[in-house]
Amino acid sequence: MFKKFDEKESISGVLQLKSSVQKSIRSKILESYPFLDTYLEVVLPKKDAFKIVKCHDHIEIIVNSAGEQQFFRHREGQWMPTLRLLHKYPFFLPMQQVDKGAIRFVLSGANIMCPGLTSPGAQMTEVPKDTIVAIMAEGKDHALAIGKTTLSTEDIAKVNKGIGVENCHYLNDGLWQMKPIK
Amino acid sequence: MAQENKLKTGPRESVNYPVQVVYCGNCTMPIEYCEYYPEYEKCKQWLEKNLPREFEKVKIGDGSDSPAGDEEKKRQKRGGKGIIKTKKKEEGPKQVCVSRAPRGKKKSVTVVTGLSTFEIDLKVAAKFFGQRFACGSSVTGEDEIVIQGDVKDDLFDVIPEKWPEIDEDLIEDLGDQKR
Ligand SMILES: [Zn+2]
Repeated sequence: MFKKFDEKESISGVLQLKSSVQKSIRSKILESYPFLDTYLEVVLPKKDAFKIVKCHDHIEIIVNSAGEQQFFRHREGQWMPTLRLLHKYPFFLPMQQVDKGAIRFVLSGANIMCPGLTSPGAQMTEVPKDTIVAIMAEGKDHALAIGKTTLSTEDIAKVNKGIGVENCHYLNDGLWQMKPIK
Repeated sequence: MAQENKLKTGPRESVNYPVQVVYCGNCTMPIEYCEYYPEYEKCKQWLEKNLPREFEKVKIGDGSDSPAGDEEKKRQKRGGKGIIKTKKKEEGPKQVCVSRAPRGKKKSVTVVTGLSTFEIDLKVAAKFFGQRFACGSSVTGEDEIVIQGDVKDDLFDVIPEKWPEIDEDLIEDLGDQKR
């Protein structure tokens, strides 16, 4: 999603949000990620005025008052956390672990293929199709990407070929490199 | 099993959130991923300078079961190249340029470019100039600030004073712009 993203060219505008819109976004996020619970108040404080950065290709990014990118989404899809946010609170997304060999591919922006999730170095948490997941790696502590499952984990194991998780955001992509928005 | 625990969703009791992840000053990724960065050597240099303790660990990890060797075997099974792009390089050398441009018949403005090559926030800089010279000052381009007044000569003192990383020698005087 952010492979070709460039903060100088891909941003079309920054909007201040009405408090009612802000409220509904908060509740949507909480609905998607119940584990965020009390931490949401720190991540997106109720009283904080956050902004939406509108970008090309129907991408929207939520920025808090300090200018940090917190969540993003594509079209009207689910809000997904940025990796910097997820690194701080790694527990609120189901984690899928790829094996060592898959790391370089994920870091180059490739989608996650089923075999990379089923080999001995890999490990999955059971989730249905279209779930937002954190991509972890064998032998590493921190997430390297955020993705959306294109198959249920059961099917990933069964089919074991083709794309299993769509790579939405990864270390060093355009979103990762974006500077705080003032 | 410890492995199983690692992927469990939900906060851990033993951890204080937010987790403070150490990011590399060269590749910006968590330092555990530096080994995958094309300019790993530069990451190592950064580590050695800034986090000597982590650097020692890396050296130990470079032993027989290095991830690169391990990966070489696995790589052959996979299609594609998996090329990781390096960050875009900052364009050109770090330098600030100042010039004078005419405004109306008698007045001039001062144009400052290049501040962002020093990673300076242009909006903050524009505001600072406005306050310092008591005149209008605004960001007018990607890396351009226009100060409404002829303050070019003062800038050679004011800029290094405000941003010590910009030496007076790094400020280029472009003179007067023609109309
Ligand atoms: Zn690095």
